[in-house]
Amino acid sequence: MNRKPALSAKLICLGVLAVLLLAAALCLLFVPGAPRHAASGPAEGQTLLTIYEGPRTMTGSQTAVIRANGHELFVYDVMVNHEHIWKADSEPSSTPMTYFDFLGSVSLEIEMPGLNKPVESAAVLPAAWGIVPEVEDGRVRFTITEPGAYTVVFNGSVNKAVHIFANPPETDVPDPDDPDVYYIGPGEWTMDAIALQDGQTLYLSGGAVLHSIVSVANADNVRICGRGMIDGSDYPAWNRPGSYARVPIDINHSKNVTAEGIILVNSNCWNFNSFSSSHVRIDNVKIISGRQNGDGFTFQSCTDHEVTNCFARTWDDSLVIKNYSGSSRGIRFRNVQIWTDLAQSMEIGYETDKGLTLDPEISDVLFEDITVLYNFHKPVISIHNSDDAFVHDITYRNIVVENAMMQGDNGNNKELIEMTLQNSGWSTVTDEFGSIDSVLIEGLTVVNTADGKVPASRFSGQGPENRITNVTIKNVTILGQPIRDLDALRASVNEYCENITVE
Amino acid sequence: MNKLLTIIFSALIVLSLLLGAGAFFGLFQPKGEPGLTIVTAPDQTKAQRPPCFPDPEANYIPMPEGENLALGKSVVSGVHNDVYVIENVNDGKTDTYWESKGFPAEVTVDLGESRRLTAVAVRLNPSAIWEPRTQEIAVALSADGTSYSEVSAAVKYDFDPATGNRIRIDFPAAEGRFVKLTFTLNTSSRTGGAQAAEIEIYE
Repeated sequence: MNRKPALSAKLICLGVLAVLLLAAALCLLFVPGAPRHAASGPAEGQTLLTIYEGPRTMTGSQTAVIRANGHELFVYDVMVNHEHIWKADSEPSSTPMTYFDFLGSVSLEIEMPGLNKPVESAAVLPAAWGIVPEVEDGRVRFTITEPGAYTVVFNGSVNKAVHIFANPPETDVPDPDDPDVYYIGPGEWTMDAIALQDGQTLYLSGGAVLHSIVSVANADNVRICGRGMIDGSDYPAWNRPGSYARVPIDINHSKNVTAEGIILVNSNCWNFNSFSSSHVRIDNVKIISGRQNGDGFTFQSCTDHEVTNCFARTWDDSLVIKNYSGSSRGIRFRNVQIWTDLAQSMEIGYETDKGLTLDPEISDVLFEDITVLYNFHKPVISIHNSDDAFVHDITYRNIVVENAMMQGDNGNNKELIEMTLQNSGWSTVTDEFGSIDSVLIEGLTVVNTADGKVPASRFSGQGPENRITNVTIKNVTILGQPIRDLDALRASVNEYCENITVE
Repeated sequence: MNKLLTIIFSALIVLSLLLGAGAFFGLFQPKGEPGLTIVTAPDQTKAQRPPCFPDPEANYIPMPEGENLALGKSVVSGVHNDVYVIENVNDGKTDTYWESKGFPAEVTVDLGESRRLTAVAVRLNPSAIWEPRTQEIAVALSADGTSYSEVSAAVKYDFDPATGNRIRIDFPAAEGRFVKLTFTLNTSSRTGGAQAAEIEIYE
């Protein structure tokens, strides 16, 4: 007897297809990494906002309350230093800092209970961005639509200035399961040191506070990324008895290194260090430091380094290039904000041949689209060739100094621009001198100065064979006045300089 | 029955296609405020070691048992490099170290009295920034500080932070008051001399 099958093959196929399609649909709905249509991001006009809880082991700032689109942010108090003169025992104070990621439009609201006085006025820096905050009942409100570093000062004082790092949304987040990825999530973490080797990635998530140092030594193809912080507050200042330098990021004899998005605070020494390394890319890295020798981005004898979209508030040179073991070339800083509480903003030197190498040079250096929020101590633009190097082909383009407040040391070193070929306390070669040639400063605007006058500048060669030559300065505006000659620049030029021109 | 199943399967297929297309084109928003992501912090009561960096101490080379006889004893060497003096090798701290200026580099510890010895250990700072290196070391003993007998010939030892940056040199038990270590190689690219944070001597 023939019996009809309970289910036809056609029906079984239909059922299997239905189950498979349902499974695929559920995957698309609930699996975070599932494919999406490229245009299915936020709807037009919609804002993406990512905020990060602070570690539950830490207490947020009592000084500032900051909200982004009504959501309270975790605010960190980080070390800064308002003493604008070097002291070995100077102790830092603190200022509030917070961060988030966004795309679209974010309304920020700030209250300052720790200011101990009513907020009557506020300014958002860079001033050139033209953001005028609303101040009402002690609350400061303004809206941002572009990622960047925003600094808010209150009542015309830099005390307790708030730093807000508004990041773009993260892209290319590494896979935590990749064996070459060290993935540090939100929370407070501590370990002695992290040494990254060939091909490795360190990811520091937003909301992470890492008490450690990161070393990249003799390595190739290394990535450091994320939104989190490396915090050196556990370590006494490096010059204290029994302490030593704990450099948050230290690249040494390495190549093809990238660093993106992270924040360095409370370092007990200098901050982002690269030594005898090449092909280094640094983007959206933020530095705030307030302790001795707290240089920002400091490169010694390096080649092909690029720093973009970064921020450095430092208690020593903010951006600095030296020769410690060979020559430096191909160093580019673009779109960087600086706040220099001590020393120089953009320094080449003083050490230009600490490694006692043959024919040392520093060349092909670019500072472009640099905004100096404040410079309190020494020159803004400086080349101190205090060994025997040949420093040449240096370009400064579109430099805006919002507050040039150089107080110098006992009346010295308070210039706006200073280029010298003299021995210094940092000289290694004291019986020979080098030279400086082919420097272009194209676009320099100084908005405010300490005394409302044009600051002096200085060009000082050493001798007939050790000269400063071919320095071209164009498009300079100081206190709203165009500067068209050396006298207007208040520049002193000694007899060992040639072809120093202002156009 | 078959008709009913056909209807159900067909409906499921249509529903799946609609859900999948909606998800693919971003029509379904997560709950809460659109576009807002709050990255939460884990429950912690103190700062912890990041889980992606397992504590390497389980893999550390075990040290000889008993008292470290070298601790605080008189110790001499040749010329040291920079500030890295020989007194650092038996101060009980691995964050201070001795570094010789060149090779060979000898370190001699006077134990003050003759002891029956079986092992020597050499440590570097266990921090990960002290990258792996190899040092070649020989050990000799003496009763009078003049005439030495080698108890361990020159051997290359691997120092690795993954194993605590420390090595031990075991040898047949022998009497000695003066213990001399002779370093003849260090592969570290950071120095041209021998390095030791601690030199330890055991019965």
